[in-house]
Amino acid sequence: MIRAHALTKRYGGGRRRPRTAVDHLSFEVHPGTVTGFLGPNGAGKSTTMRMLLGLDTPTSGRCTVGGRAYATHSAPLTEVGALLEARSLHPGRSAYQNLMALAHTHGIPRSRVEHVLGVTGLTDVAGRRVKGFSLGMGQRLGIAAALLGDPATLVLDEPVNGLDPEGVLWIRTLLKAQAAEGRTVLISSHLMSEMAVTAHHLIIIGRGRLLADTTVEQFVRESGTGSVKVVSPEATRLAELLAGPGVTVESAAPGTLDVRGADAEHIGRTAAAHAVPLYELTPHTASLEQAFMDLTHHAVEYGTPGATPREAATAREGAAA
Amino acid sequence: MTTTAPTTTPYRVTPARVLRSEWHKLWTLRTTWITLLAAAALVLAVGITMGSTYDGDDSDVDTVVFVLFGTQLSQICLAVLGILVTAGEYATGMIRASLTAVPRRLPVLWSKAAVFTAVAFALCLVTNVVTFLTAQIWLADTDKELALTDPGVLGALAGNAAGVTLLSLVALGLGALLRSVPGGIGAFVGAVLVVPEIVSTLPFTGVDAVVRHFPAQAATSLGSITRVQDTIAPGPALLTLALWALTVLAAASFLLRRRDV
Repeated sequence: MIRAHALTKRYGGGRRRPRTAVDHLSFEVHPGTVTGFLGPNGAGKSTTMRMLLGLDTPTSGRCTVGGRAYATHSAPLTEVGALLEARSLHPGRSAYQNLMALAHTHGIPRSRVEHVLGVTGLTDVAGRRVKGFSLGMGQRLGIAAALLGDPATLVLDEPVNGLDPEGVLWIRTLLKAQAAEGRTVLISSHLMSEMAVTAHHLIIIGRGRLLADTTVEQFVRESGTGSVKVVSPEATRLAELLAGPGVTVESAAPGTLDVRGADAEHIGRTAAAHAVPLYELTPHTASLEQAFMDLTHHAVEYGTPGATPREAATAREGAAA
Repeated sequence: MTTTAPTTTPYRVTPARVLRSEWHKLWTLRTTWITLLAAAALVLAVGITMGSTYDGDDSDVDTVVFVLFGTQLSQICLAVLGILVTAGEYATGMIRASLTAVPRRLPVLWSKAAVFTAVAFALCLVTNVVTFLTAQIWLADTDKELALTDPGVLGALAGNAAGVTLLSLVALGLGALLRSVPGGIGAFVGAVLVVPEIVSTLPFTGVDAVVRHFPAQAATSLGSITRVQDTIAPGPALLTLALWALTVLAAASFLLRRRDV
């Protein structure tokens, strides 16, 4: 359980123009689910996480983990396992020795270090110096360090950075399993599409302020842009079956439907129940990205002048296609 | 989650465990071995050179000072290691992991200082004794012939080790204060080794008395059997040097508690 209350971090002051990185941010992160911490670059995600771990001192406000400030726990690594964006292990030490150095502070045995190296798939390279690690291996080692104390809470800053598709899938599965065991999991990202498939709950910030505290489902529903492309030989009949309050069905071409207000599961089940064959059933996650950008475009720190977020989203969608 | 009661886990941060961790950190880096070996080798090599080439005309310096000229070089090696122990963690980002594991922070700095002091002093002492004995192979039958058991010899060998160690501890503190390896080395060379030389040339009365209490000058007094000219007595010198190291470490501690990482 993580609780932030009116958390504020201001840099500069005096002669320099002060910059507010985090501005009266309040939120709660509950155990049992993966919570996505979203925001454009420079929104204050990393600063918030650093305050949570006691690395940065808030200008005002406070945050607690498990009911207390992080620094007051007698075994902090068992309370929170953290992966910070910048590498935070010594490149001249081997993976194993880096983890042992951290383990010694808590009396964590060697067997646990070997276990987390195994879980993260680093057993074979454990003796190698971290200097030679690829970005993905470094990221896995950071996650191994986070898991070291078998913590009740995981705080991971951009965990999928630098991971290959297999690694991304691995971490998604790992995080969901950790949450299912009753742990609190907070992961930051600037990619809505990644969060949509990994997280259940969303905390969205921009310019240090809270923009949304919601579930992925609700966010999609309320943003009203979640659509599902359906191709079926009996499109007209399916459109009638799906019709209902809050559901809009458009047809761009014969046999193709663009359904809003109903998710792919509901459409698939409806079609199956009425024996309507489906050739294609595609949720448009790009529209999620767009909803996110619409929400945050006033709060983008380093925006591109002239490009509205909708255009940018369309451009990205086009590039991806 | 609050359901994780503190009693269910045997893991806990204790001062002894933080010490253990810092001990582990020190020995698992190549630079530690390189700097320590270089420091020992330099002292021994210079000692052998001095002993084997002695022809009896350097009689104004006492034997311990004479055979331990190399400690001026090992001093730089050990000061650099001290700076690496603290500032090195900021350069690599390891400090974030260290302070996340020990968020009370101060045990990390004090453990580093303790481990470093113990290792540096042990190494210096052993190196000094070995160098002294080795140099005596050539110095036998000269006016510099001395035995380890002669009065003042062990004290001077240990005093030299204490001086080098405490000066390196000042460097370790400077590294923690400045959080930069080049900055720490620059500050150590500048403030500890160069500034006193400049200050001593100032034409004010009492300047000499002040300069004698500077760290490097106090250290000089420790490594000699006879009283070195223009220095304070070994006892006060040891105290002065320890106070310098403590002051720098206290300042570093104060900032460590306050600053963001």
